[in-house]
Amino acid sequence: MGKTQIGISLKSASEQAAAAIAAMPEQPKSIRCPICDIRCLTYSALTDHYAANHPDCVIPTTITLHVNGKACSLIIEPHLTLKQVLQYHLGLIGAKEMCDRGACGSCTVIIDGKPALSCNILAAECEGKIIETVEGIAVIPKWKPLIDAYCKWDAMQCGYCTPGFLVAAKVLLDRNPHPTEKEINEALSGNICICGTYPRHAQAILEAVKIMAEGSDS
Amino acid sequence: MPDYTGANGLRESFRVVGKPNIPGLTSYAMATGIAKFGSDFTVPDMLFAKILRSPFAHAKVLAIDASKALAIPGVVDVVKWDDPIFGDITQNPFSTSKTGYLPNEAHKEGAEVGAVVIAESEALCDEALCALHVQWEELPFIVDIKKGLDPDFPAIRGPEWDESHTYNPPPKTTEGHTWMATHYPEDPRKKGNVGWSTKAEGDMASGWKQADFILEYEVNVHDVVSLLPNPQASVAWWTDDMYRPGKTLRIEGAVQRRGAIATMYKMPDENVIQEGLFQGGKYCDWGLRMAQEITPLLSKRVNRPVRCCNTREENFDMCVNERFAHIKLGVTNEGLITAVDDSSLLDHGAPGSSEMTVYDRDWTGYYTLKCENITQRYTVVDSNRGFMHTCGQFVPYSWDMLTVGIYLIAEKLGKDPTEIARLNLHGPDSQKDTRPVPSFEACLNEGKKLMNWNWHPAGTKRLPDGRLHGASFRYQMCPRHAFLKYFCKLEYRDGVVHFPTQGPIAGWFGTECFTMIIAEELGLMFDDIAVDYDYRAEHTDEAGGSDGVTGHGWVVKECANMLKKKILEAAAREAQETVIRFGPMEMPKPESPLKSYKAEDLDIMDGKVFVKSDPSKFVLFSQATTETITADFGSYSPKSAWATQFGRKLDTMNTSWCEVAVDDETGEVEILKYLVVADPGKVIRLTSFESQIDQVVFFSQGCQLLEEYILDPETGVKLNGNMLDYRKPTTLDVPIVDKEILELRSGDGAYGASGIAHNLANSHLIITAIHNATGVWVDPPATPDRMLKALGKC
Repeated sequence: MGKTQIGISLKSASEQAAAAIAAMPEQPKSIRCPICDIRCLTYSALTDHYAANHPDCVIPTTITLHVNGKACSLIIEPHLTLKQVLQYHLGLIGAKEMCDRGACGSCTVIIDGKPALSCNILAAECEGKIIETVEGIAVIPKWKPLIDAYCKWDAMQCGYCTPGFLVAAKVLLDRNPHPTEKEINEALSGNICICGTYPRHAQAILEAVKIMAEGSDS
Repeated sequence: MPDYTGANGLRESFRVVGKPNIPGLTSYAMATGIAKFGSDFTVPDMLFAKILRSPFAHAKVLAIDASKALAIPGVVDVVKWDDPIFGDITQNPFSTSKTGYLPNEAHKEGAEVGAVVIAESEALCDEALCALHVQWEELPFIVDIKKGLDPDFPAIRGPEWDESHTYNPPPKTTEGHTWMATHYPEDPRKKGNVGWSTKAEGDMASGWKQADFILEYEVNVHDVVSLLPNPQASVAWWTDDMYRPGKTLRIEGAVQRRGAIATMYKMPDENVIQEGLFQGGKYCDWGLRMAQEITPLLSKRVNRPVRCCNTREENFDMCVNERFAHIKLGVTNEGLITAVDDSSLLDHGAPGSSEMTVYDRDWTGYYTLKCENITQRYTVVDSNRGFMHTCGQFVPYSWDMLTVGIYLIAEKLGKDPTEIARLNLHGPDSQKDTRPVPSFEACLNEGKKLMNWNWHPAGTKRLPDGRLHGASFRYQMCPRHAFLKYFCKLEYRDGVVHFPTQGPIAGWFGTECFTMIIAEELGLMFDDIAVDYDYRAEHTDEAGGSDGVTGHGWVVKECANMLKKKILEAAAREAQETVIRFGPMEMPKPESPLKSYKAEDLDIMDGKVFVKSDPSKFVLFSQATTETITADFGSYSPKSAWATQFGRKLDTMNTSWCEVAVDDETGEVEILKYLVVADPGKVIRLTSFESQIDQVVFFSQGCQLLEEYILDPETGVKLNGNMLDYRKPTTLDVPIVDKEILELRSGDGAYGASGIAHNLANSHLIITAIHNATGVWVDPPATPDRMLKALGKC
């Protein structure tokens, strides 16, 4: 007890990201009434419990989310945002909540290839869609140069908003593998960094682009 | 006090220190989303808590009927302010609350007040809060501090808060370091909502007499808010631990305040576990929010883990208070300032606000002047505007009152402001010292060269595209905190140097700087040092940003040299041994290349312990000794000019330069060039050093061109307490900051370092450049509509 395990290299960070993905439950670990914490053996028992005890409440719904290549069946309250479900049900903390209302980009994830603000999207709306989070990006070797460059250039200070930027950068590079500095700044302009790291992101992304291009050439 | 290499360091060549692009120790964790901040912690069977917030700027809770809330299925408890449970905790030493832990009086809109609800989900907490029947008594409020001067306005604070207007001598550490000047014994007592504090030095009458003219001007600083990116949150639970007597408290989210939590809950430190490292951008923000402190109490009550997390709007605190300064300067026809009278009206904020920027008068530019006749008269008004949680990273303190004054003298006399600054700046050692300051001269000359500086009077230059051109300049001291006693422990174990630290990780790359220093002193590489993050370690990064890093870095440097000396002694000792012992067994030992040499004959470099007179004789550093060797050092670092002399001594300086274009048809302002020339003495970690400059320019540009905190004068309620309506700069807004770093090695931290941190943050450099372009003053933020109004066009 005492020593804190942190990813002090890409390898260890990727391993921890991979572990987080592996730990995402494919089935609900237990079926629990979110109102009174009573455990139910089956989903139908939960619906019966609602009918008997919470007749005025909306019954939790069953959905399957496809997150970072894994299909996860969940029972969730329909009002939960994707950000909340990622954290509370799937244990993924890379999407961060900062502004509370889709103004800062810290909770950015990728849904069907497009950047999306997970604090502003209901998880129930995401069924059948392909969701990628920063943890999913961290485990793909292709993006090693991007993560390396982010770390080499300190494109972070306190680090809270960084995953949102990295996800936005990945979306940009998927769409445009050779962006200009102006295009990078435009693509990242929906992400707020209160530590003022903005110039570092373009620097890091431009370097990553170069390294990724050299890698693909070779 | 040991000083193996001298405070300024004799080292000329650096292998590790100053090198760019070494990834931070936790950067990969932060980039990949595995770094856990307070709001990221969740535990099984966790309940949620939310605190009632005041919808009024000033109000008292008279009664709460919680019966409807408690009847909602899933609502576990409602704890009201008068619950005896609050008697179980003592004051958090980092909190300024004086009216009980959870008060029943709110001093700003959104203040925690009256009750906490605990429920199975956040949504149920919200529902329960709505179901509370609260009987409020609305009270008079002040959000316009000029109106707060009215002697007939009812006092908005009870007498329990008057302590903040009693005048205590500046506290000093045991080593005699002044922490900060506060109040003065000759000041009148507070009356109503107004307090006074006057600091006077020199002979004002003589100063006015020497002057050829009096220059009067006003500088208005508006409040700036919204610094913490991460919601302040905690989750806590209690356990029985077979290894510890009594209950063990696990709390995550109150990063770096394990000791404070232990005090608050009357627990031994060792029974409080806190493993989280990441605290977000809490730069010099020392306090905890209630959401970070209250969860252990609630967890004890309901016997389950409890999480409490603020929303963004609940975190929308100020980092700079509103201030209206009226300044009179006595000036000679040459431009020499002979007297300074700063009469400022300041916001005292809601109770519990930090008073650092309200009363701290020493951190100002005035004491860098030859002029010794200086009076600062502060009128401080209690208000309900908001909490001011100090964030030193962004506080421009009182410096730009002088920046504007120097500019105005130059305008009046038709001279270059850089020459006015040079004329007025005292020498390196004291206000009576007339010698030039080498660091200032270097920063000034380099800045003029890089800016292609060609001063012009206000409103006299148009660019080829028709826009007005303006430029401005300011100087400041480079800072270094040296108030605190710093600690470092290093251990050579199994051939590896271990550096245990508790963190926290807040964005200033302190541990990386320290690790670079350790590697430098031990002749190792950065990656050779094993950094062990351990919440129980004595060493902490909490040292005040990059300036603290360098102040603290001195202690780390000394500790590394203590370890080095011990390693060399052990290596020399073991080299003499002829046998290797395994318990009772002995076997012959090959002769060491270091045999017959004493410790003082040896040195360490490139992973080897070698004979200085014959470097071909060496052993690997990892095999220098089989002993486990510890060096443990705690000390105050050498007193820095910035920390103890506050402008009266000048060692490391910087200059900032700004060039703008103003479209007088649209009111739009564009920053054409922003240059920082900084002499921090010595840069420890270049990449983060440069980032820190970007950060303060981000702040400075935001508060001068974009950000504005708007309170409804009728209700006292915030109108833009969110990130949609309160506009922070984005990647499309910030200027490219050109940086020129000088290293004159004249600071008194490790290697002559002094730091950079918040001193480049400013409230009026861009505003001054706008005046130079247009000839009109605009109060920040200089948005297009305000510009057009100032130009008389709307």
